[in-house]
Amino acid sequence: MFQRERQGSTGSARGRAVRRLSIAAAASMLAAPAAFAQQDTAGSAVVQSSSSASCTNPSPSHASLAGMVVGFSQSENEQNPFRAAETASVRSAARQAKVGRLLYTNANDSQAKQVADIESMIAQGAKAIIVAPLNATGLQPALEQAAAKNIPVVTIDRATAGTPCHDFITFLGSDFLVQGQRAADAMNKATGGQAKIVEIQGAYGNSVETQRTQGFADELKKYPGLTLVAAQTGNWSATDAQKVMEQLLLAHPDINALYSHADVMTLGAMRAIQQAGKTPGHDIKIVSIDGTKGLVQAIAEGNAQADVQTNPRFGPKAFAALKGWFNGDQVAQAQIMKDALYDDVADSKAALKSGATY
Amino acid sequence: MSAAVTEAGAAEARAESRARIVGLIQSRGAIAVLVVAALAAGLVFPDFLHPGNLGDIVTAASFLGLVAIGQTFVVILGGFDLSVGSMVGLGTVLAAYAAPYGVLAALLLPMLVGLLVGLIDGLLIVRARMAPFIVTLAALLALKGLAVLLAGESLVIADPGLFGRLANGSWLGIGNLVVILLLAYALAALLLNRTRYGAAVFAIGGNEEAARMLGVRVERVKIATYCLSGTLAGLAGALLAAHLSSGLSSAGTGYELQSIAAAVIGGVLLTGGVGTMLGALSGVLLLGVIENVINQIGSLSAAYQGLASGAFLLLAVIVQSGLTRQRAA
Repeated sequence: MFQRERQGSTGSARGRAVRRLSIAAAASMLAAPAAFAQQDTAGSAVVQSSSSASCTNPSPSHASLAGMVVGFSQSENEQNPFRAAETASVRSAARQAKVGRLLYTNANDSQAKQVADIESMIAQGAKAIIVAPLNATGLQPALEQAAAKNIPVVTIDRATAGTPCHDFITFLGSDFLVQGQRAADAMNKATGGQAKIVEIQGAYGNSVETQRTQGFADELKKYPGLTLVAAQTGNWSATDAQKVMEQLLLAHPDINALYSHADVMTLGAMRAIQQAGKTPGHDIKIVSIDGTKGLVQAIAEGNAQADVQTNPRFGPKAFAALKGWFNGDQVAQAQIMKDALYDDVADSKAALKSGATY
Repeated sequence: MSAAVTEAGAAEARAESRARIVGLIQSRGAIAVLVVAALAAGLVFPDFLHPGNLGDIVTAASFLGLVAIGQTFVVILGGFDLSVGSMVGLGTVLAAYAAPYGVLAALLLPMLVGLLVGLIDGLLIVRARMAPFIVTLAALLALKGLAVLLAGESLVIADPGLFGRLANGSWLGIGNLVVILLLAYALAALLLNRTRYGAAVFAIGGNEEAARMLGVRVERVKIATYCLSGTLAGLAGALLAAHLSSGLSSAGTGYELQSIAAAVIGGVLLTGGVGTMLGALSGVLLLGVIENVINQIGSLSAAYQGLASGAFLLLAVIVQSGLTRQRAA
């Protein structure tokens, strides 16, 4: 694990930051060997690369996480498997760190509620807070309140506006642009470099959607045999994606590949493909993003080609960052999660078996 | 003979006192439930009654609260306004665009657009005789789309300054949003209970044809009420943008139904003609208390919030229908 983290780093400053984190991670690894061993086979709790900039607590309290009240503010409800896995990871890491109490709130898709949630956790005595921001902006009043009380905030999965080291000590998340690029590479491999592709995108006006679209489009320029025939939004919804795919199949009967921004939409689109009398994975090659059980299962069965993971297991890294902050260590300001790629039957079966999928 | 008179008088008095009790439960029931719920929460969670926490609850509820004022007028009138949630989102976006031009611009632009939306909704409902449900549903979709077109997901207000302090500052230790909310409800109560306009709203909600025959200018009152609702949704959006230092196209999602739920919990009859501002405010705050209590428990999924809110709504509707039968009896 230590080795792999170092491979991801280039440049001495970045290397230093990563090594510091690795020490924190190694320390908690000793404390919790079982949990980390499992994470390690899943290959998912590893930070791929980190920013060179870091934050250091100017007056470290050396407070122990054990017994501390820690808050976790989740953004959306957990019908979404990504959110469920994310919350489970934070809860399990909280247990590993032996925190006194993990306060949990869920903003239920409301930015105003997320601000109120964080404020109420501060009022209840949270000494450290982990936030999965709902939006790219809009947490300012809550972050300011936390900063005024010297409460460190770790943001996970979506970056939000604020001053690093003041409003939050680190951001952990996937690189959605790179996900789009990797999806294009996987598409090239899956189709042998010749395909007419349709793209089902996430909800418009969302930075995740924008970057997955952009990354895919950029990388596609490398592959002259791959053409993007049409792109439409499926609003992150299975039923919307199914409808869109039905229409796309009627409008473009010659398409033979699908790139979808999210597994839940992909599964909807696959139903439309079947209803049109075509076989998903054969007549239409499929590349998706998320790494959820349903789609990795489809890859294992040959009904889809590739799935770029969005790693939801932020818990261990989030607590390691908090621990480093309280101890006065350097904490990298941005840490990119390592996302797996499932693109063959054997890998997918292994991932399903090991519990790496969610 | 005199005995019969006293008996009839007693029956009349009984009926009168029963009507008074029914009216009291309808108008004050929600605030009683709110007080009991808050005291119970304070007993179980010592942090709950802390003034800071109570302030946070009212602050967080203030945006829905402003929306619920307009919605209450519309519901008493016998209509619905489903456009308010999207108008709040659009309002935050417009405020974010206008913020560099000053506080007044950031407040007035969303309110003006809200007024315009209300005017269009009202005209379509009154002149084209379209159902409020459909007209405002169309507005919900269109305004949401417009907000996304204008802002994408979100816009940051780089230097909110005075605009930010308007929402996040405080006055004599009380949060500005709390003051604004209470002031707005006080004005709304005066408007509803002490003006000819308010009387007309009740009259139309009670019986539109009768109101028309009594000389109420039904069309004008209806249009004005949708304008009021749109303007308040715009104001809520502007204040939310100030609170969050951002314009968010997704802000306010769900406020259309939450505001109706709050009004109904507060004793406003969905069929129109009955309701109070104090009741609506109590409904809004009760939803806020439920939200906060679930946070105090600290481990519950947000799904419980929906469950608890739904239970209170159902309870309110059951009590309402019971009261309505009592009144009819």
